[in-house]
Amino acid sequence: MKAIAVKIFESFLLILAVIVFNFVLIYLAPGDVVDALSGGAFGDGREEINQLIREQMGLDQPFHVQLITYIGNVLTGDFGFSPIGNRPVIEMIAPRIFPTLLLALCALAFAVIIGVTIGSIAARRPTSFFSGGLTVFALIGFAMPVFWTGILLVLVFGVWLDWLPVSGMNNLRLSSSAGFVERALDTARHLVLPTISLGVIFLASYARLSRASMLEVLQSDYIRTARAKGLSEGPVMIKHALRNAVIPIITVLGMEFGVLLSGAILVETVFNWPGLGRLAFEAVLTRDTNVLLAILTMVSATVILANLVTDIAYRLVDPRIRIGDV
Amino acid sequence: MGIGSTQPLLSIRNLTVRFGTFTALDNLSFNLDSGKTTAVVGESGSGKSVTALSVMGLVTLGTRAEIDAGEILFERKDGSTIDLLQCTEREMRSIRGNEISMIFQEPLTSLNPVYTTGDQVMESIQLHQGLTRRSAKDKALEMFEMVRIPRAEKVLTDYPHQLSGGMRQRVMIAMALSCDPKLLIADEPTTALDVTIQAQMLGLMKELQDQTGASVMLITHDMGVVAEVADDIVVMRRSKVVETGNVYDIFEKPEANYTRALLASIPRLGSMTGKSEPELFDLVLEANER
Amino acid sequence: MATAHPPSSALEATSAERYQGLRMFMANKAALFGAVLMAIILFVSYILPAIFTDDKFAYAGKRHLAPFSENGPFFGTDYLGRGVGLIVMHGGSTTLEVAGFAALLIVTVGAVVGALAGFYGGIVDRALMKVTEFFQVLPGLLFALVVVALFGASTITIVLAIGIISWPPVARQTRSEFLRQKNLEYVKAARSIGASNARIILRTILPNTLPVLIVQATLTMGAAILFEAGLAFLGLGDPESLSWGYYVGLNRQYFLVNWWGVTFPGFMVFITVLSLSLIGDGIQDAINPKLRGR
Repeated sequence: MKAIAVKIFESFLLILAVIVFNFVLIYLAPGDVVDALSGGAFGDGREEINQLIREQMGLDQPFHVQLITYIGNVLTGDFGFSPIGNRPVIEMIAPRIFPTLLLALCALAFAVIIGVTIGSIAARRPTSFFSGGLTVFALIGFAMPVFWTGILLVLVFGVWLDWLPVSGMNNLRLSSSAGFVERALDTARHLVLPTISLGVIFLASYARLSRASMLEVLQSDYIRTARAKGLSEGPVMIKHALRNAVIPIITVLGMEFGVLLSGAILVETVFNWPGLGRLAFEAVLTRDTNVLLAILTMVSATVILANLVTDIAYRLVDPRIRIGDV
Repeated sequence: MGIGSTQPLLSIRNLTVRFGTFTALDNLSFNLDSGKTTAVVGESGSGKSVTALSVMGLVTLGTRAEIDAGEILFERKDGSTIDLLQCTEREMRSIRGNEISMIFQEPLTSLNPVYTTGDQVMESIQLHQGLTRRSAKDKALEMFEMVRIPRAEKVLTDYPHQLSGGMRQRVMIAMALSCDPKLLIADEPTTALDVTIQAQMLGLMKELQDQTGASVMLITHDMGVVAEVADDIVVMRRSKVVETGNVYDIFEKPEANYTRALLASIPRLGSMTGKSEPELFDLVLEANER
Repeated sequence: MATAHPPSSALEATSAERYQGLRMFMANKAALFGAVLMAIILFVSYILPAIFTDDKFAYAGKRHLAPFSENGPFFGTDYLGRGVGLIVMHGGSTTLEVAGFAALLIVTVGAVVGALAGFYGGIVDRALMKVTEFFQVLPGLLFALVVVALFGASTITIVLAIGIISWPPVARQTRSEFLRQKNLEYVKAARSIGASNARIILRTILPNTLPVLIVQATLTMGAAILFEAGLAFLGLGDPESLSWGYYVGLNRQYFLVNWWGVTFPGFMVFITVLSLSLIGDGIQDAINPKLRGR
């Protein structure tokens, strides 16, 4: 319990550090900060916007006062104003969070479930052709650029075969009277290709990792004990082997959550998925720096939280760690 | 062995097991009598553990082992006799842990680290006796008390890493005996334990055997252990049976040279007086000559 | 494979070792395939552009979006009438150089941080590892987007952005290598003859860490290529040099009529990263055969 409290505190400090780091980045950016922040706004409204930003950030104040104001603002959900969207940044970001999380978690579930299944099957026949092919598969999965995988999937399944939708999260022609179930099914169809593009990067490496860890577990004495008890292979694999074999995978999950969300930016861009990544891409095009910074903060915080969650999950799965330290 | 008119509990006949080109068991035959402790002795690699795993039907699981020939006749709880090698996997599972159970050499790694000891013992009880979780728990507690685990109630909810090696082995024994098996196979059950714990454990096993009437197949390389608990002995060497017999007969007048060498390997207090290092015994000399 | 006589000098011993390593590398079919692939990529990226010296931006008079089979050796044209093959071969050097410099930066920073943390331990270690953890939680691509957006899209900012965010795994690896070697006999021996810390780090431990760093550099370069490609795909690349990823991004809108404009450069990224992974794994196996197949 104490260990978890320490972890939570550390996570909070990390989030603070990210915010400070962001501020320093803006501070160091060349040219007028106001120019950097209002970036894409031209014409009549510009001076007005610049004035607004100056007041908001209190640019006449010394560095540390500005910093503290900035931290306070961010912690209360105030990420400033977007001259492009002509709205507070938080209003632009809020509706984008759910689609990104949905995509990321689906991709993660896809990669973990299929990867662990493939890896476990391969571990039961470690010398088979299938098992050897896994390494090649892992190398290929790693080497394919995400956006390229996405475009290939669009070409093959969306255009040539015309099986699945390739753009957005819902069919625009879906009648507004459509019920929740119909809407959810439509979203699910739109999710398939983005999920695969994003999941494939991890799928192969999880399969390889779980194969190695399953191989080790299957040779352990407690698996022999479970078999000697008279358990059939199903419970031996699922109850006794799997729970031990997923421990190393959980560790990797947390560490790779950042990579997952980075990949989501590319996948969302390819599939016009209305998430944070797509917003980040648009913000790059329009030089909407405030939005970019806010997304960076939000996503970093998400990664830190994901790390915290995996850390706790790790303790739940492995009693040696949970009860081991006082 | 097989003395008297009663049918043996377990009868291994002409069993041959190969790992690729290596013959792990070569035309092995011996009987195990009901209610007795039979020690299977021999050096490591002589095929003792392969014998045990063959009886359990676990030797071909996840290994390259193949059973070439032979039969293993076993008298079940209901009085019928079956050949374990001809059993379906399903039948075998109803025998494993229920009619024949096994405890292993390494108590430290033989329990699953992510489940409590209680869960692991109850799993066996629920599987074979069809009890509810609640009564399985009562039974597990009863077993823990039987193997003299102190504060049994608490140990039920402990994870294996919280217990000492001796306690973990007691849990293993409790698990093995929980379904009242006719045969308990103990593969070097005391080797990994401290000497003092070893003695306790042997005493406990002997006592439990008297209580439950189970037969024990004790696999060991330690003739000292054999002298203490065994009724019968099967001496194995290089995948073959060298000699079988009653423990008194064999200790009294061993017939095979190898058995004599094994017996000579028991260290005796004072046997090293005046010597700077232990003597090599015949076995090693013979092995070197080959 | 025992040699007939023991090596008579340290030089002979190390060259024998290297020879052995080279043999193992060559015997590893996958690694050899990776090396051949890399040779082809280098040929396409550096020799071919010297042969086809046509101006890559010259689009006058050519048909727009000509199909794959037209435009001779350049496999069709893009939406501006530029030869797709021509741009792809010119894009190679950009991609490889950005990734190469980034990998160099990543390995250097990672090695320095890891060496200091592993060697000195204690508070230095803890502080440096906290910094490492901080950079590890920042989502890499997003961070690079922000940096490039704030500081402008030049080759230097791109290299720096990739470098700043990608060094933590190298630092961890180097650290554990230093931790391991710190207590080995030859380090103790160096200490006992009064070698300074700097000398032990640079002359005793670092040379023994080099193989690990070479593997890391190879694998890191693959990751940096993917990173650069992702950034460039989103439009944050140098428009003058048209790296592979940037070109995929440009052609994306036209992919329904011009599928080769996106698949070709993407395929180049794919085989480059694949070949670097194969080479990296091959070197790893040659250094440490025990880890093979893991």
